[in-house]
Amino acid sequence: MGLKSGRLERKSKASSQIPSSSMADIAFLLLIFFMVTTVFQKDRKREIEWVEAEESEKIDEKQKDILNVWVETNGDVYINDALRVMEDVSGVVRPFRRDSERLVVSIRADQNVPYKYVDGLQKELVAAGALRVVFAAELEQNITRERR
Amino acid sequence: MAVLGNKKSRISDEIPSSSMADIAFLLLIFFLVTTTFPKDKGLAIVLPEQAREQEVSQKNVLHILINPTGAVNIRRGESQQEQTVTPDEVEQIWRQGVAQNPKLIAAVKTHPEAPYRFMIDVLDALQAASATKISLQILE
Repeated sequence: MGLKSGRLERKSKASSQIPSSSMADIAFLLLIFFMVTTVFQKDRKREIEWVEAEESEKIDEKQKDILNVWVETNGDVYINDALRVMEDVSGVVRPFRRDSERLVVSIRADQNVPYKYVDGLQKELVAAGALRVVFAAELEQNITRERR
Repeated sequence: MAVLGNKKSRISDEIPSSSMADIAFLLLIFFLVTTTFPKDKGLAIVLPEQAREQEVSQKNVLHILINPTGAVNIRRGESQQEQTVTPDEVEQIWRQGVAQNPKLIAAVKTHPEAPYRFMIDVLDALQAASATKISLQILE
């Protein structure tokens, strides 16, 4: 490249290599970005004492197909962080059912909820056509079971 | 040292920054790979369709009645005799029952005021015994 043409003999000061010193900053930026933007739970945390079951199994369904329905001890039903009246549940669930063929409703009820609320909820879900239901439960360890 | 005095040490006193990128990317990839979103766990069941109530012969039904205290009463078919058991024993009872009658249906009838966890205990026992024909009802 014009080695003999006198003026161009001097090498360009700009390095032809990609600067590697800033690479670390970029990587750390990405790392921090992902750490900050990772959201684990969409719903607000609720004071619920989980039920335990030995046969509890993982729900093999995409997150968008799972609808969480919370039932608190006094019978309050929350769907997507909104308090719902039991009678309205079927109306609320129906659009979700329409949007997703594979909808699974996860019933997250406190262990001390009187069963009449859970039964009422089931009837509402049947009315909405949401038949695939999961009673959310923590995995019960055998040790705790023996102690009981 | 005096001999080597004016010769500069070849070892740089700076932390090598060229490998920093590798470390950071390694961390990044490590976190990306190890992040597992907590999967929901629970007892899956498919509810019956609306207005499709089936008449079943009483002799094929195993009634499991759950009281508010957590006591479980078992009633077999047409007999009025009740037997009080614990939720854990339901598993054995179901296994015995289904061996005698493969068409057996478990009718879990829970008292309206009974805490939800007792129903889950029974449902858990039934699923442990791989029961598939379960009917969840409310005790009237």
